[in-house]
Amino acid sequence: MDLFNIYNYISEETVFQAVRVLLIIAISFPVLLLLRNWARSFFTKKYASHYGMLAGKVVFYTGLVIMIVMVMGQLGISLAPLLAGAGIVGVALGFASQTSVSNIISGLFLIAEQPFKVDDIINVNGTIGIVMSIDVLSVKLRTFDNMFVRIPNETIIKTEVINLTRFPIRRFNAKVSVAYKEDVGKVREILMEVAEKNKYSLSEPEPQIIFEAFGTSSIDLDFRIWAPVNEWIFLKNTIQEEIKKKFDEESIEIPFPHVSLYAGQDTEAMPIEIINSVVQQEEAD
Amino acid sequence: MSEVKNSIWGTHPLGDKEPYFVDVGALNLWMLYRNEEIWIAYCYDEEVEGKVDPSAPPEKTDWQRWAHKSGGNEVQILPAFADLPLIVQSEYSLKVSPYTTIQIYSRVPLWISISIAKNEYSLIELPATKLSKTWFGTPIEGELCYHVTTKARRDLSKTTPEDYLLSCPITISNRSAEELTFESFCFRVERLGIYKDTNGVLWADETEITYHGEEQHSDIIMTGKLPKGITKDMQISKPRKQIHKSLATRTFQRLFEDTDILGR
Repeated sequence: MDLFNIYNYISEETVFQAVRVLLIIAISFPVLLLLRNWARSFFTKKYASHYGMLAGKVVFYTGLVIMIVMVMGQLGISLAPLLAGAGIVGVALGFASQTSVSNIISGLFLIAEQPFKVDDIINVNGTIGIVMSIDVLSVKLRTFDNMFVRIPNETIIKTEVINLTRFPIRRFNAKVSVAYKEDVGKVREILMEVAEKNKYSLSEPEPQIIFEAFGTSSIDLDFRIWAPVNEWIFLKNTIQEEIKKKFDEESIEIPFPHVSLYAGQDTEAMPIEIINSVVQQEEAD
Repeated sequence: MSEVKNSIWGTHPLGDKEPYFVDVGALNLWMLYRNEEIWIAYCYDEEVEGKVDPSAPPEKTDWQRWAHKSGGNEVQILPAFADLPLIVQSEYSLKVSPYTTIQIYSRVPLWISISIAKNEYSLIELPATKLSKTWFGTPIEGELCYHVTTKARRDLSKTTPEDYLLSCPITISNRSAEELTFESFCFRVERLGIYKDTNGVLWADETEITYHGEEQHSDIIMTGKLPKGITKDMQISKPRKQIHKSLATRTFQRLFEDTDILGR
């Protein structure tokens, strides 16, 4: 008996079957990857990266299922008893993997409802980041300090999600406080002039100034300015600086909390002892 | 109409020591050809304290450099329309009666397009004057535009020509049974060519806007009709988009109901 003859251990039919299975996998898997990449790039170019990602996933998983079915067919495994048993197995698996299944179903709802897309900027429970992908179990974000955040789909379905880039324009509300002695009309004019000159502020919708309240030590105004959504952060960064600069130029006082110190008795003045009179010396000079 | 003195349009050779200086509108521009590179620096009047020195840009202004394969030292400077539509706001509200057609002239600030003369490779485009941006549409959808004001004159013969302004003849036809209040409109300039008349004044071909009512789109047609005294061979800049078809779109209506005082 030849020890090295493979047919002594397994039948010729089994070897051919194994070769056929390997051929199916070797040919269909690269084709599947090529198709997935083509679908992804085609839909990304034609629509958006979000649809490209979805199309890629649909093509890949559909192809994968077909490939598995073909392999099982080659191995002589009938699908009928498997499908019959799937119900029982499904129940058992459902109990065992409630969270995963919940995430998968939540993922389907996310895809259907589309509260956000890939490349949108979202805020989930205070975590702000750019959507990298919407996957079967989770949504992946990249935060602005370059951290990777994985949020389970179930969490996203259950919590409030703020999409910061859904609409093309966004408003910035600047809280502006001025001293009671200031002329509010003049302050309004100055603020409108600042908005008009700001590089990122939109003329329409028009900036608004809302008299917010008589504060404890200031008149509080709500200055509302619009910007294209991708320039909102630049507007926020520049307009407040410009307001401060203009207020300094126009001698408009921005009040800040003053702290008065008392020596414990509010009826008496705090005793102060002059140790080194530099000011007096300078005046004398 | 009097003549525009400062005509900068065309091809200009650049030196390596003495910059070629352009002053149009509020824009000041310096150009050099140095070490086989084109150097461009620019600033606007409002950014400079005092007078601008034509021989050198202010210290705060940085040079930008372009290295281009066998580009040569010649640049082509041409006028261009804005890279976005313009929201043209009339200084005074103008009401157009039902079934009435009027012609107005709007003078809009131009852009300056600088390219390599040899191969027309575009280097930079700059507005002659800084324009603020505005939004045309609703908060949910619309388009980004520039905001300009116009006197919406019926005749330009008595105006002083400016080197940074383009004169655009616009015909507005009110085909609806309602009065059209012309306060502002969206002027889609990307399909207009630019022509230079014998006095150096820049003109655009005619735009025809047909208003069919508030709830319907307005038709915009670039008729290609040229103003009096302008011929086809006077064209110095082609339109950004070479489409000569009618366009039906929102032109007069803007809705911002939920951004008003009550909108929190």
